[in-house]
Amino acid sequence: MTGTIRILMIDDHPMIIEGYQNTLLFSKKESQILEIDIANNCDEAISYMDKSLKNNRPYNVLFVDISLPPSKDGLMNSGEDLAIYAREVLPKSKIIILTMFDESYRIHNIIKNIDPEGFLIKSDLTSSELASAFQAVLHNPPFYSGTVNSHLRKTNESDIVIDDKNRKILYLLSQGAKNKSLATHLNISVSAIEKRKKQLKEIFLIDDGQDETLINEARKKGFIL
Amino acid sequence: MKCYVIYIFFIISLSFSYSQTSNNSSIKDSIEAFIYKSKQSDLFSNNERLDFALKAKQLAKDSDFLSAEVQSNLSVSNIYWEMGLEKDFKKINRENLDLSNKINDTLSLANTHYNLGEFFRLKVRLSDSAYYHYHNAEKLFKKLDDNFNTAQTLLRIAVIQKNEKDFIGSEVTSVEAISQLDLLKDTDKINEVKSYIYNNLGLVFGQMEQFDESIIYYKKALELKKNLAGNNTLTIYRTINNLALSYNNSENFELAIKNYKLILDDKETMSKNPNFYALVLDNYANSLYLSKKNDKRLPHLYLKALNICDSLGDSASNYNSIIINQHLAQYYNDKNKKDSARYYAYRAKDISENYHNDDLLKSLLLLSKIEDDSIAVNYYNEYIQLNDSLVKNERNIRNKFARIRFETKEIEKKNLQITREKMWLIIISIILMITALLIYIIISQRSKNNELRFVQKQQETNEEIYNLMLSQQEKIDQARTLEKKHISQELHDGVLGRLFGTRLSLDSLNMGTTTEAIQTRSRYIQDLKNIEEDIRKVSHELNTDFISGSGFLDIIKTLLETQTQAYELDYTLDYNDSINWDDLSNKNKIHIYRIIQESIHNIYKHANATLLKIGFELKKNVICLTISDNGSGFDVNKAKTGIGLKNINARVKEVNGEIIITSEKDIGTTVKINVPI
Repeated sequence: MTGTIRILMIDDHPMIIEGYQNTLLFSKKESQILEIDIANNCDEAISYMDKSLKNNRPYNVLFVDISLPPSKDGLMNSGEDLAIYAREVLPKSKIIILTMFDESYRIHNIIKNIDPEGFLIKSDLTSSELASAFQAVLHNPPFYSGTVNSHLRKTNESDIVIDDKNRKILYLLSQGAKNKSLATHLNISVSAIEKRKKQLKEIFLIDDGQDETLINEARKKGFIL
Repeated sequence: MKCYVIYIFFIISLSFSYSQTSNNSSIKDSIEAFIYKSKQSDLFSNNERLDFALKAKQLAKDSDFLSAEVQSNLSVSNIYWEMGLEKDFKKINRENLDLSNKINDTLSLANTHYNLGEFFRLKVRLSDSAYYHYHNAEKLFKKLDDNFNTAQTLLRIAVIQKNEKDFIGSEVTSVEAISQLDLLKDTDKINEVKSYIYNNLGLVFGQMEQFDESIIYYKKALELKKNLAGNNTLTIYRTINNLALSYNNSENFELAIKNYKLILDDKETMSKNPNFYALVLDNYANSLYLSKKNDKRLPHLYLKALNICDSLGDSASNYNSIIINQHLAQYYNDKNKKDSARYYAYRAKDISENYHNDDLLKSLLLLSKIEDDSIAVNYYNEYIQLNDSLVKNERNIRNKFARIRFETKEIEKKNLQITREKMWLIIISIILMITALLIYIIISQRSKNNELRFVQKQQETNEEIYNLMLSQQEKIDQARTLEKKHISQELHDGVLGRLFGTRLSLDSLNMGTTTEAIQTRSRYIQDLKNIEEDIRKVSHELNTDFISGSGFLDIIKTLLETQTQAYELDYTLDYNDSINWDDLSNKNKIHIYRIIQESIHNIYKHANATLLKIGFELKKNVICLTISDNGSGFDVNKAKTGIGLKNINARVKEVNGEIIITSEKDIGTTVKINVPI
């Protein structure tokens, strides 16, 4: 793809955006002209998206960070929400998710909900990878970073299927959450949590009934990192 | 009382004689053997029997067996009676009276009274003494439910009453005796006694000139006597004689004569009992005389009877001769043979003077009829005098009887009252004891309950503090988690993002060699420095133990705040951070908390203070707690008993600490408590 490429970068750290910009500017092709808009929070991101739609100059690529300060009206809480919104209003735009989260549960969720053209984990991202990811998304999507790929491989390998809530429970358990706080997080009763935990232990073939064993097993199988 | 005496005596004798039990039992056996032998009148002579009985008595006396002695005495007295040793009989029975009274042997007491009654009635003819003893015997026999002996005694009382002309009394007593016997099965023994009673009743009604009644009773007595086993001829004849006399007195001479003849026709009567024969002969003659004034056999029959009596010459026949002489005097007087009449009348009077009774009275009346005018008047006067004295005498005796009865009743009443008082005393003492017991139980229960309640309360407050500490711990944990989250956020969002951005930029600038690129890189390296600084900050934050040990003090602070606010006090709390509260056991923490709480309460209640100072200090592993106020103070020596102070002392003891209280009037009180860690 050549010519003007319109880009919206959404991240609350200007330093990171700077990094993206530097990388892209140094690695872009001669023929490519980059028009970059920067949004530091959800509200700005929405207004940029709406503006581009109004001007009929939709973005070609959206760089979306997952953890963002929520919007003022409270509708948008993270990059995930923004990406979903972008898919609605700018269906042709390519979305690159850049996130610090490397938890299996989040990755799974993001792929399921957004199916982004690019999925990069910040912690193992280099400028060259970012550059190649940018080109790949433009010409031959999708591009997933190594971590994402390895995770996807792991979950595909095991024939265990668990729903989102159970995934979340596993994730929270691995963070050391207790039943009570699980219940408030997931907005279900403590007994329901107990039931699900029992279910999970059956799925992962845990004999000793210990939460720790369950977490270790889930980690082995790639459900949590 | 007696019961106790006997009981004590029994215990003493038991303890004394315990070692000699076998010896004692052999003594008892030999006493019993002697008593048994003394009763065998078929085998031994009276003297031998007396000897046995006296031996038994001596043995019993020597070994202090009172009950055995009483039994021996009874045996001895029986033998004395049989031997006619009247004085000894009286003496031994008197002795036995005291003895059986002493050991409360009712049966022996009754028997002894009976014996004495017999003695006074038959031997001394003291009717009032006899009556007294019979009366006592009767009461005792009644108490023992011994109907037969009661009846026997009553019969004797009835006879005495009859002899003293208390005819109504005698009738009542006789009827009572019969009713006692009616409770028992008919046997010869009982029927015999019954027949005597009927005979007595016959005599009583005869004296009261109710001859029809007396005849009925005599007939009853006769019927019973005839059916008795053995030879009862004499007693039957006596009753027939009585019956005949009643017929005679009711002027049924034909039947009287017929009955007299029945006795006189029996040849054995004269040979066996000439005195009785003479009496019947006289009665027979009198009946003949009264029915037909001119019977040819008279006065021959009278004289024959008198002859028999004179020839016998004993006191009984002498007594009988009075009436014969009177009859003769009467007969001769009617025949107008004044000399003969006078002779017999004087004889009758002379003999009857020995007896001083109704017979003398009759003799005097007779003389007053036979003698000439002036002498007759004299005799008549004498007659009236004697009559008066006799009547008086009778009245006195009857009064005596009544008194004896009354006195025993009085004693019984008194006894009843005493037993009633005793019963009340026992009931009251039992009630008192039960009440005391109940009160004791209630009090002890209450104090136990109080103790339990106190312990429970203590536990509750301890639990409360424990919960407080737990919740504080939870709060600390929460804060810790929050802080952790905060730091992680800080690292993640602040440092990590910037680090990533810087790395990415540096990465991309890596290839460039332009001065611009070099300048930008040095800018990013400067950024890295800033990031380093940030990381150091976070690290420093992590290093400060921002919540270590503050839990317990927070609780204390909360306590002070709420309490002082409620009591309107100002407070200061001094402590230094060198005290590691985690080293202190929860138990000790609770005690310290409670001590402070109690102290504040005390200060509020008593001290009238405005300022409260609490201080914690650590000296050589001992926590020194100082609680002082600026209140009115108190006398330390006097107030040791207060519950608040007691609680504090108990708690100080629990933590193995020590407490020093100093107080000055109007300046304040300081409590220092040392708690070893």
